[in-house]
Amino acid sequence: MTATLVSNLLSIALLTSTPVLLAMLGETLTERTGVINLGVEGQMLVGAAAGFAATHASGNPWLGLLVGALAGTLLSSIHALLCLALGVNQIASGLAILFLGNGLSSFYGTSLVGQQIDGFHSMAHGWLALLPGIGPFLGQLTPTVYLAAFLLIASGIFLYRTQWGLVWRAAGESADALRMLGKRPVALRLAGVLVGGLLTGLAGAALSVDYTRTWVEQMTAGRGLLAVGLVIVARWNPWLALPVALIYGLAEALSLRLQSAGADLSPYLLGTLPYLVPLIVLLLTYRGSQRANAMPQELAGVFRGMA
Amino acid sequence: MGRKPGAAPVRAGGRDSRLPAPCICFFYFNGYAPLEIFRQIALGAFGNAFSTNTTLAKSIPILFCALATALPARMGLVSVGAEGQLYFGALAGTAAVLSLTTAPFWQLFPATLALTLMGGALWGAIPGILRAGLGVNETIVTILMNYIGIQLVEYAVYGPWKDAGNLGWPATIAFPQAAKFPTIAVGAFSSNWALVLAVVLALGLHLLVERSRWGTALALLRSNPRVARMAGLSYVTHAIAVMALAGSFAGLAGLVQTANVQNHLQPDISSGYGYVGFLVAWLAGQNFLRIIPLALLMGGLLSAGDALQLFAQLPFANTVVMQALLFISVLGVGAWREKRRSAT
Repeated sequence: MTATLVSNLLSIALLTSTPVLLAMLGETLTERTGVINLGVEGQMLVGAAAGFAATHASGNPWLGLLVGALAGTLLSSIHALLCLALGVNQIASGLAILFLGNGLSSFYGTSLVGQQIDGFHSMAHGWLALLPGIGPFLGQLTPTVYLAAFLLIASGIFLYRTQWGLVWRAAGESADALRMLGKRPVALRLAGVLVGGLLTGLAGAALSVDYTRTWVEQMTAGRGLLAVGLVIVARWNPWLALPVALIYGLAEALSLRLQSAGADLSPYLLGTLPYLVPLIVLLLTYRGSQRANAMPQELAGVFRGMA
Repeated sequence: MGRKPGAAPVRAGGRDSRLPAPCICFFYFNGYAPLEIFRQIALGAFGNAFSTNTTLAKSIPILFCALATALPARMGLVSVGAEGQLYFGALAGTAAVLSLTTAPFWQLFPATLALTLMGGALWGAIPGILRAGLGVNETIVTILMNYIGIQLVEYAVYGPWKDAGNLGWPATIAFPQAAKFPTIAVGAFSSNWALVLAVVLALGLHLLVERSRWGTALALLRSNPRVARMAGLSYVTHAIAVMALAGSFAGLAGLVQTANVQNHLQPDISSGYGYVGFLVAWLAGQNFLRIIPLALLMGGLLSAGDALQLFAQLPFANTVVMQALLFISVLGVGAWREKRRSAT
């Protein structure tokens, strides 16, 4: 009984946290090169709208994910243009991107509201579900969960185990050191912003194509901004992004679960959990730890109001 | 790369022919006549007394929220929390209205105002305390607290504070006249005293920050915390005070929206005014004087958006896109000019 309950909670948590995890991975990779992009929310929204539209038109959810990822990349390129080419303050530029993505997705998504798509086939009867013991649990998950898991491992290995990952991290720590290596910081940062756009667009598409299978205006409901915050909780580390995203997902799953169980608490108070819990985790992880050590040094300047 | 915010003198209103170019492209691409749309926007924002009054009404919360962003920025704190502070300020102010509903103006209004200021200040002080005490990044805490503040208002109006007389509509009782900012009218133009308060605040802050010891202290804390510490300035005290003060400004936006515009506390107090205010503050280069015309411009754009929805059948999303394109052009052009100037 309790085992089923835990497995149910965990699978809901995995499903709800997948878009957030993807967005966190994207923003982690961006920030590691020394650029912060607050436009994640906007990139997720255009990814969700474009991905949904492509799935609706073609009937192929994989194509939807791809189109969503490309839409996110396209929007993030504006952020790259503003910050890297023109030297606009990154925080301000990111919020402008957020607004733009919000407006564009609402504008072009008007005709998508209320449309139906099929999304991915259920994996409840595939070969995964036939595995002994954990089969039923694995079968409850959807392809994007596995895709996110793969991308998590890929970005973790890339950042910490490859030569390019070392250069990538050096871009965020010290542009001068990078120049001494004979690499160009701007080129790496451009890559950082675009890869971030790709993953956050994918995150939005995962939300609309796979998780909710609908398009609603502003459906990301703050997940993008939250992801930027959770990147800090996870200390710019892809490996830590998983537990942090899961904590968010569990809070979300728990509040959904308690609501459906008819808890005495108001659903609106429970609705604060997904934001309150990361906040508390943020405080707990800050206590007694060496602060600012985990932050890429080039980012610290942005937060001090220099761009 | 080593540019301070506000170093780029962005001219408000953008007397720059390149400025609306992205907007023109957007409209043209979607099959609208750009020039006609721009004419409609100008008319919708300032065409007659009614539209001007709407513009003013929308500019007030934007102005307060811009002040709430610019003040912490003067100290190098990046607060994105005006939206949540607006909501929590309104929530706290409503508590006074609900407990003193029948009190006369001179009792009810100060009480409402005081609680609003305290509520907003609390919502601003928490990230300030966490930043100063534990070094937790204030940008993130303010973002998280925005959502918590919005949810708390929803809890109140769907739950304990819901008025049964609203036939299921989630809102409190209607605010009595005594809880509102008094009206101010000049000819056909009417607004309320919150507008005057916001403008006076902006002017006062400008003087303080530019001319007073306190302003210098903030600048020093931003640019060189070590020197500031040696000069005996406490980062902790200043950070908490500045964040609390800023929060109380945003709270005022919540009060004027709730009492004077919407007449009840209801779930959607603000249509993103906190974020629009944030952008206005950054566009103004955190300069309190420049914030005033820019807030007015944004208010105009928002009220024109409403008008366009009615007359030109353009969805409101257009306005958001236009706002964003405007921001991007102003930011981009400003930075580009700065780059050219420093290159020559």
